[in-house]
Amino acid sequence: MEKSAWIWRVVFLAAPVAVFSILVLWPLFSSFFYSFTNWNGFNPNYKFVGFDNYAKIWTDRLFLNAIINTFVWMVAAILLPTLLGLGFALLIDSNVPGGKVFKSIFYLPICLSAVVVGQIWTWIYQPDWGLLNTLINFFLAEPLNYPWLAKPDTSLGSVIIAWSWQQTGLSMVIYLAGLTSISEELLEVCEIEGTSTWQKIRLVLVPLLTPATVVVIALSVINSLKGFDILYIMTGGGPFHSSDTLAMHMYNESFKKYMMGYGSAISVVLFLLALVIIGIYFRELRRLDEIYG
Amino acid sequence: MVDQVATLPSSREFNPWPVGIFICLLVLACLFLAPTIGVMLSSIKTTREIAEGGLWDIPTRLFLGNFVEVLANPAVHRYFLNTFLVTVPATAASIALGVLAGYVFSKLPFWGSNLLFLVLISGMFFPPQVILIPLFQFFNSLGLIDTLWPIIFIHTALGIPICTLLMRNFFATVPNSLREAAILEGANEFQVLTRVALPLSLPALAVLATLQFTWIWNDFLWPLIFTQSDEKRTIMVGIVNLKGQYSVAWGVQGALSLVASLPTLIVFLFFQRYFIKGMTMGAVKG
Repeated sequence: MEKSAWIWRVVFLAAPVAVFSILVLWPLFSSFFYSFTNWNGFNPNYKFVGFDNYAKIWTDRLFLNAIINTFVWMVAAILLPTLLGLGFALLIDSNVPGGKVFKSIFYLPICLSAVVVGQIWTWIYQPDWGLLNTLINFFLAEPLNYPWLAKPDTSLGSVIIAWSWQQTGLSMVIYLAGLTSISEELLEVCEIEGTSTWQKIRLVLVPLLTPATVVVIALSVINSLKGFDILYIMTGGGPFHSSDTLAMHMYNESFKKYMMGYGSAISVVLFLLALVIIGIYFRELRRLDEIYG
Repeated sequence: MVDQVATLPSSREFNPWPVGIFICLLVLACLFLAPTIGVMLSSIKTTREIAEGGLWDIPTRLFLGNFVEVLANPAVHRYFLNTFLVTVPATAASIALGVLAGYVFSKLPFWGSNLLFLVLISGMFFPPQVILIPLFQFFNSLGLIDTLWPIIFIHTALGIPICTLLMRNFFATVPNSLREAAILEGANEFQVLTRVALPLSLPALAVLATLQFTWIWNDFLWPLIFTQSDEKRTIMVGIVNLKGQYSVAWGVQGALSLVASLPTLIVFLFFQRYFIKGMTMGAVKG
């Protein structure tokens, strides 16, 4: 019996573990390996260069620029979808008629691809006939033909708004799932005690939504670290690298300049960043498990 | 529910909250839909109409020329075919592998199986750029650059974490007594999986199929890296390339975006329930 169970374990796990090891785990470790070489992507005669690539990181102004942009991108990509998602979820949860339809509308952008979202928003920011400038011109005497995506000051922020538009639906459904788990009795007690709506939100709902918030924030961080497609489509990291993130910078160094060794070093930094965040996430999850059971 | 019953008979005081909330949501919904509606409007206008009247005006008549242009373009047919050739096998394979692994982690746990499970799950969290260069190197050495194979393999592998996670959680709800009864009747584990556990897991399979289909269909990064010739492009990389060809034909671009999103929009409309369930399940249990 026990012996046959082992045979089945091996038979069942062989394919998934093999595929995952070859295509995810092994490349992960290879990245570390390549980050110590000067490989250019084609020439098999690459050399080991020790920590040169990592030393270069600290002198690469574009890397530091990308780190700063990544943090700006991450902070905004956490705050906007989380707050908007919470707001939408609270509004929809109030038994408003047509709640299901609203939920679908806010959720719809999630199933669109980054390419399509990027295109939609590129049109909104279009200087001459874009929706944003059209709306602003409605209030202005002089037409404002501001090229939102082509100015270093606004390029990153403009993409962040497009990204938030797509991600808000995800935070919203997680908050909605959290809200339905809050007991009706507790809310009835609030009703009887005569708490105001604002008090109810601030003192009861938001604290009880802490587990949902942890999940939302973790997902936002993870998704924002992966945020590449929409930047590639909307700005390509420009103008003048004003919207370069780590993922974008890594792509440019590796697949535009063919400095795969250096690109690997950047991807290792990206990996370590993700590792720290995952560590915090799992620690918080465990802490929540202890509090909420 | 309770509120409605309580407020229906007694009309003592007018409660402004529901009306206010409804109007608030209505305005937000309009704002949220505006970008998508803009693309839809553009797709049924001629280039001239857009140039003269702006993209955002309500058109006076329906112009289907953009869709005719898109649907008659042989490149679009090829992109669609390629995307299906990637999405369908990768979706099926990742789910199959997730079912196998999930079954072991749920019904046949062993010493260290939790650790192995965590290692598999961790794949969900890493930015794909981390494994980009070694995978490029790997498939280059196999001579598979500019074929669809790397994209199929990679999506299969990257789908294993979420599929394993959801299937393990779902199989946990299948009573152990069912498995034991089947084993007593002389069934082996494979028969238990295919004849007992899987027929009970159709909702979980539907969740995974919708999630994986949408993600793989919409993916941009992997086809961008692994395909070079127009013959092998998938739809999302394809429509970016076609942008140059239709640089001022905004209407055609809009129609292209809509046509490219159609499969995922259909999946969303019909399987919305599963889609949302999958997103929240994967997230909350993560």
